[in-house]
Amino acid sequence: MEPWAIGAESTIFKTEQWGRPIILKWRPEKPYLLKEIDEQLRRTRTSRECKMLTYARLLGVPTPAVHWTNLASCTIAMDYIEGRQLKLMAGTLSRSLLHELCYRFGQSIALMHRGNVVHGDPTTSNVLIDGKSRLWMVDFGLAEWNATLEMKGVDLHLIHRALETTHWDQQEDMLAGVLEGYMSLLGSDAELAFSRMKSIRERGRYH
Amino acid sequence: MPLICLGLEGTAHSFGAGVVSGEGRVLSNCWDMVSPQEGGIHPREASRHHSDMGPDIIKKALTEAGVAFRDIHLIAFSRGPGLGPCLRATATMARSLALKLGVPLVGVNHCVAHIEIGCLESGFRDPVTVYVSGGNTQVIAFAGNRFRTFGETLDIAIGNMLDVLGRIVGMRFPAGPGIEKEAEKGENYHSLPYSVKGMDVSYSGMLTAARRLYSEGVALSDLCYSVQETAFGMLAEVTERAIAHTKKTEILLTGGVARNKRLGEILTGVANRHGAAFHTVSPPLAGDQGAMIAWTGILQHSAGDKLDVADSHVRPKWRTDEQDITWRASS
Repeated sequence: MEPWAIGAESTIFKTEQWGRPIILKWRPEKPYLLKEIDEQLRRTRTSRECKMLTYARLLGVPTPAVHWTNLASCTIAMDYIEGRQLKLMAGTLSRSLLHELCYRFGQSIALMHRGNVVHGDPTTSNVLIDGKSRLWMVDFGLAEWNATLEMKGVDLHLIHRALETTHWDQQEDMLAGVLEGYMSLLGSDAELAFSRMKSIRERGRYH
Repeated sequence: MPLICLGLEGTAHSFGAGVVSGEGRVLSNCWDMVSPQEGGIHPREASRHHSDMGPDIIKKALTEAGVAFRDIHLIAFSRGPGLGPCLRATATMARSLALKLGVPLVGVNHCVAHIEIGCLESGFRDPVTVYVSGGNTQVIAFAGNRFRTFGETLDIAIGNMLDVLGRIVGMRFPAGPGIEKEAEKGENYHSLPYSVKGMDVSYSGMLTAARRLYSEGVALSDLCYSVQETAFGMLAEVTERAIAHTKKTEILLTGGVARNKRLGEILTGVANRHGAAFHTVSPPLAGDQGAMIAWTGILQHSAGDKLDVADSHVRPKWRTDEQDITWRASS
């Protein structure tokens, strides 16, 4: 089978099951890494992603449904979402629709944070928009439970970072949309997370 | 006679002077570094070293390049980021030379210079750059009109982590080569905190855990082996994330830690998996040195960039993504 996409840690195949398209997300061995580290990462992330895709949905975040998981081969079969990455769409949308989508991206992150879950890699590559402008979150391999304020702050910091690197010409609008959406659900808790985000940002070099 | 640029680099522990020609030939690249008998670098000692050694290193660079002061058309200096006292000592030499010779002055960003000299050597046009040194751990790529930091360390730099670990186990600064040598003899892997957050990494937890393993009597070779494999594995992962996210097709490894063979091996694997070209900048051009400053100065000068002496204050906290890259076409 030809890969449909090569991700950072996985190879993605698109296939069919019961007449419907599905995605196989396979975490292949990486011979260039130490075997002990590689195996541990592949297994824990596959297991975590499988559980987290379902748990995030329980918290109200749209995610592709998991059909089956094979921990031996580190493969997850999940729904194929007919959509495009927000990363690729952002430059083509009207300002109001982009704001709306970022607002809902912020709300999705807020729903997870309210359930003490962090996504771990909340870039615009991992936000899919389907044909009906519905938003889906994917790629939960770095997600974590029992999230502390620090972990939520890191999550927000990563969004900020992704916007400034990938959407430099729209970053202010997009960040404003995300933060408004986040605040709309979390109220005063959002303020705590925002101020932690700022302090994490300043820990980077040269601030 | 082609354009001749003298570049001065003095952001941290080393001072370098390099002469580069307009068509990108490195005519000389001389440097010297503070090498404390014990402990780390003190900024004041380093800046005194630069002031004391600078003039001789500059003369040596000119002699090796076969040029005289009157042949120089341009002076470039490392304006930041770095240690304030070191930057100021270097800037003072650059300003004096520019005024004395009556030639233009250009202020260069140290991180940008690492990327540009790497591109010159490799012929890469638009790489994802993994810049790893004592002071920096960054994954940088060009987007829009800037070099943007897609990932970086949230606490200490990888080289700093290795140096401090080296100090704990009694190695001299810089400890990277000693750790690499020990790691080659290592056989048993001890689990250490693997901390990747998106495209960012964190090394402080690993340092604490490594210190504890050492105090518990874990063999030095096994400790170094475990630290390298974990620290480099994290770098591999954030590099893969940056490649997958940006869809770029070149990976450039640079900075002092780029000398580590094992790191090069791991990133070669990453490049192969993603069908990307890979280049490790050769040691003379990967560490801090003047040629990279000179070459980047030439690029900036060719784009019309110049700096009045009166405005040439140093920028110790100058971020990579704060400078408009006028000499590259916007993407």
